[in-house]
Amino acid sequence: MKPMTKDNAVDIEKELNLSNGNVSKGVNSVKLSQDEVKIAARDVRVKYGEKEALFGINLDMPKGKVTSFIGPSGCGKSTFLRCLNRMNDTIDGCSVTGQIMVDDVDILSKQVDTVLLRAKIGMVFQKPNPFPKSIYDNVAYGPRLHGLATDKNALDEIVEISLEKVGLLKEVKDRLLEPGTGLSGGQQQRLCIARAIAVDPEILLMDEPCSALDPIATAKIEELIDELRGSYTIVIVTHSMQQAARVSQQTAFFHLGNLVEYGETEQIFTSPVDERTKGYITGRFG
Amino acid sequence: MTELKESMQKAHARLKKRRAAEKRFKMFGVGALAFAFLCVLMLFTSIISNGYTGFKQSYIQLDFVMDETIIDPDGSRDPAKMRFSNYNALVKTALKTKFPDVTNRRDKRKLYGLISSSAGFDLRDMVLDDPSIIGTTQSVWVMASDEVDMLIKGVFDRTQPESTRPISNTEIAWVETLEKEERVESRFNTNFFTSGDSREPEQAGIQGALVGSALTMLVTLALSFPLGVMAAIYLEEFAPKNKFTYLVEVNINNLAAVPSIVFGLLGLAIFLNLFGMPRSAPVAGGMVLALMTLPTIIIAARAALKSIPPSIMEAAIGVGASKMQAVFHHQLPLALPGILTGTIIGMAQALGETAPLLMIGMVAFIADVPSTPFDPATVLPVQVYLWADSPERAFVEKTSAAIMVLLGFLITMNALAVLLRKKLERRW
Amino acid sequence: MQTTIFTFTVLLLALIGFYMGRARAVSSVGGNIRQLHSLPRHYGYYVSLWCGLPTLFLFILWFIFEPQIINSLVLHNVTAINDETSSAMVARILSDIKFIAANGTNVKSATPEMIAAADHYLALKKIGIACLGVAVLAFAIVGLVIGNKNIGEKLKARDQVEKAIRILLLASSVVAILTTIGIVSSLLFEAIRFFGKVPLSEFLFGLEWSPQIALRKDQVASQGSFGAVPIFAGTMLISFIAMCVAVPVGLLSAIYMSEYATPKVRGLGKPVLEILAGIPTVVYGFFAALVVAPTIRNIGEGWGLEVASESALAAGLVMGIMIIPFVSSLSDDVIRAVPQALRDGSYALGGTKSETVLQVILPAALPGIVGGIMLAISRAIGETMIVVMAAGLSANLTANPLQAVTTATVQMVTLLVGDQEFDSPKTLAAFALGLVLFCVTLCLNVIALRVVAKYREKYD
Repeated sequence: MKPMTKDNAVDIEKELNLSNGNVSKGVNSVKLSQDEVKIAARDVRVKYGEKEALFGINLDMPKGKVTSFIGPSGCGKSTFLRCLNRMNDTIDGCSVTGQIMVDDVDILSKQVDTVLLRAKIGMVFQKPNPFPKSIYDNVAYGPRLHGLATDKNALDEIVEISLEKVGLLKEVKDRLLEPGTGLSGGQQQRLCIARAIAVDPEILLMDEPCSALDPIATAKIEELIDELRGSYTIVIVTHSMQQAARVSQQTAFFHLGNLVEYGETEQIFTSPVDERTKGYITGRFG
Repeated sequence: MTELKESMQKAHARLKKRRAAEKRFKMFGVGALAFAFLCVLMLFTSIISNGYTGFKQSYIQLDFVMDETIIDPDGSRDPAKMRFSNYNALVKTALKTKFPDVTNRRDKRKLYGLISSSAGFDLRDMVLDDPSIIGTTQSVWVMASDEVDMLIKGVFDRTQPESTRPISNTEIAWVETLEKEERVESRFNTNFFTSGDSREPEQAGIQGALVGSALTMLVTLALSFPLGVMAAIYLEEFAPKNKFTYLVEVNINNLAAVPSIVFGLLGLAIFLNLFGMPRSAPVAGGMVLALMTLPTIIIAARAALKSIPPSIMEAAIGVGASKMQAVFHHQLPLALPGILTGTIIGMAQALGETAPLLMIGMVAFIADVPSTPFDPATVLPVQVYLWADSPERAFVEKTSAAIMVLLGFLITMNALAVLLRKKLERRW
Repeated sequence: MQTTIFTFTVLLLALIGFYMGRARAVSSVGGNIRQLHSLPRHYGYYVSLWCGLPTLFLFILWFIFEPQIINSLVLHNVTAINDETSSAMVARILSDIKFIAANGTNVKSATPEMIAAADHYLALKKIGIACLGVAVLAFAIVGLVIGNKNIGEKLKARDQVEKAIRILLLASSVVAILTTIGIVSSLLFEAIRFFGKVPLSEFLFGLEWSPQIALRKDQVASQGSFGAVPIFAGTMLISFIAMCVAVPVGLLSAIYMSEYATPKVRGLGKPVLEILAGIPTVVYGFFAALVVAPTIRNIGEGWGLEVASESALAAGLVMGIMIIPFVSSLSDDVIRAVPQALRDGSYALGGTKSETVLQVILPAALPGIVGGIMLAISRAIGETMIVVMAAGLSANLTANPLQAVTTATVQMVTLLVGDQEFDSPKTLAAFALGLVLFCVTLCLNVIALRVVAKYREKYD
């Protein structure tokens, strides 16, 4: 049995293929060293009741960079994203097997406390979902829960820094006590991002964050993602290939529950290896 | 990267408390459900434990001398005369014969109190049925009085000191003598179902109340079902979206939440005083209950009609049916299971209603069984209320037994509704 | 009975009309049915409706007005009655007359005038029935004739029939409005009469409630006090106790069932709550009087407290148990209406379930829950049997739950049930209380439904 390194992940997959025809026969052209990997998924499978949604995903995501998941609807990219912060636990009848290593810890193991995990791995959703609370309270919710601020001043600071990071502070500085739901769509989504980073996560998961927004707001969010990367590892699911091309450094292409191809963004979009990838990129399906 | 960030350390510190709070909260939730469950358990246990004995009745066997001088002194065997003879005297004689040592007047009264007053009527009926028994000695099982009945059922505890119970030691001694001679028996209390109300607990039965409830329910159903379904059809299919329709809908929603006693006042003021309907009659009670059940049926019927996909209506109209034909030929039959379910549930609610019927007078002591909806009657829940007020201990048992019968009906009706819903309702 | 005979006759005539109409329609086009606008049977229905509907109206009118007309005609000649007589007295005299009429004239207490009145009653009844019979027959036959005459090729029978049915449907919906009008007018009418005898300020602000029985016929009716404040206080005390039980238990069980419970537990919990909802209130009342009140009394006396045998606590406790399913199901609906996205947002930030419920879901659902609680309060205030059987009769102004208090519904029952006294204000007082009860519950319901509707708007 060859030692498992990131380099020969593909070969191991092929070996596993011999006994189990359902393993993702993905093409993996990413060469990452141990230090560079933030998230490493091994043979992740997801079932909703009897229905299988993901077949053995193997994937490494680099630290401080943006990885995007693309693919046609229903291919499992959102499902996989939700595995990364164990949000699938909240769905009745959903079972997740395999291994997902984040900094040497398998987050799928029972010992991991999901509450702490989700403070470390934040999530932003497709449709902005600010709480029906004030802007201040929205951002302060996370830090309050985890006890990150010792007093009001510390909390104020956290809120201000988070809002500043997403570029909202100037716009809402004098109406922090107004309801978060009173903002425009783009502003709400930025608020949700501020809320997520207020708990000081290391990883940010974004599930189609711009699909409910207009082009201008989208551009702002993409700009924001660019600024945030470096300090955070970002994984983004998107149905827009152009967005993936603009925003991410690595891209993974999913299809029908399998990871078909994974590589540098530029390479995926200019010279994809797998036929299915080619077909999706050129718009033949999806 | 095994060193935790500062924020992570803080979060870790708080975690234990938060998990404890989570557990506590969950326990509160479980506790609330457990409380509800416990209440149901306590209620059913207390009712059943008090009531199951009500389905039994103690009988005592005595030898009665059918003394001709008392029954038929002039020897005419005339039923009209024999009807009014003093049969109680025969009962007293039988008791005196059995316990000849009882001489003092107070004790004698206690002795006569061992047997229910129905015994006299039983003997009378025997004689009228078959006059040839006059002059003979008959061994008859007659009903024990309510105190003896309670004693035999163990409700009055023999082992407790005399001052704690309403039955004295002398009476217990007599009963024990009879028990030793195997002259005491416990039988299924058919009388409970075959006779109407009575002042004597051992003779009281629910037949009057059952028939009254049945008649009232009949009137309620006959009025509320057609009116309710027709109103629902109108509101759902034909009513234009204008102020009037809005008014009707608001009215229906409000009526559904009006306290039941107010409907009773309506019945009193309008049905009894204005329309002059007979007080205490199922027809008046039925009309009041129909008004109460109407909103329930309308709301259920509307929901059922709404659930039929419009494609069916469109198909019917597409082949040339008029709107009304489409509604009555297609939509209504398909919605019928839902409508029936709602109706059964509404009827079950009406069956248990008491307050409005008290207002229109169905609270008088009615010993006869009603035969038409216009005769004075009472209903089962009102009977329960009346008996609950009575002081005799034996009425507790009867009330509980009546409640068991009432609950039995309600459970059956609700189970029927659920069954109907499961079997006949289609998922579109 | 004669009315049954009349009904059958009309039905028979309607049936004949059906066949006549149908036949006539078919013959008018020489058997070529396709030339008719509607199906032959519609022409039959047309004639039947012409025959039956007017007579149906006649029946209803007769049913409603005949007793009143006969009663007033009979009483017209009875000298014992004049404008001063109370309605209770009138009712008694009427029932005496009817009793004599039913049982023959050898009733012991019958005065000659009463016997004459009884005869008059019987005669009027006969005339009434005869009139009905004649009118019904006339209407039916005239209807038949008119209906038949109109049959022809040009008649759009089905349209006419459907128009008639539509009117019937509309009439059924109007019953709801009529009911509300009936309730409001009967309450108002009697309450106004009451306030003519007892001033409104005494009723609303008076602290003593002891509606006196008039000992002599000529005693002025406003003897005895009708200050309803202790009644309102008692109602509020018991309702408050009930809410203290129902709201926490109902809300918590709704939260647990919708957020925590496994399908198995939900499958057990829902039926339990539905059973609680389906138990008739008279059973709850019996349970309260038989089990709960003595238990509370024993526990209280064990601790050295003085507990009434009809304590407000006992009645309130059982009422609270009865209302639990109400609060629970309303809260459940409201909690489910909160979008999953909010929950996801909270979980994604690392919130536990209890934190999510307490800090996100409940605040979001608050308007709906408040609306639900208001509806529950309305239910508690209007509840009758539990308090009649387990609460007291004396209007005690106190905040001590261990004492006996009375409520509006108890008073309404006591005043109207039992022997009708000569004294009208007692009966009228019940209607005044009923009016207050109706208004309060109406306000609560309207506000609550508005609040819940607004809340739904936010999330749909």
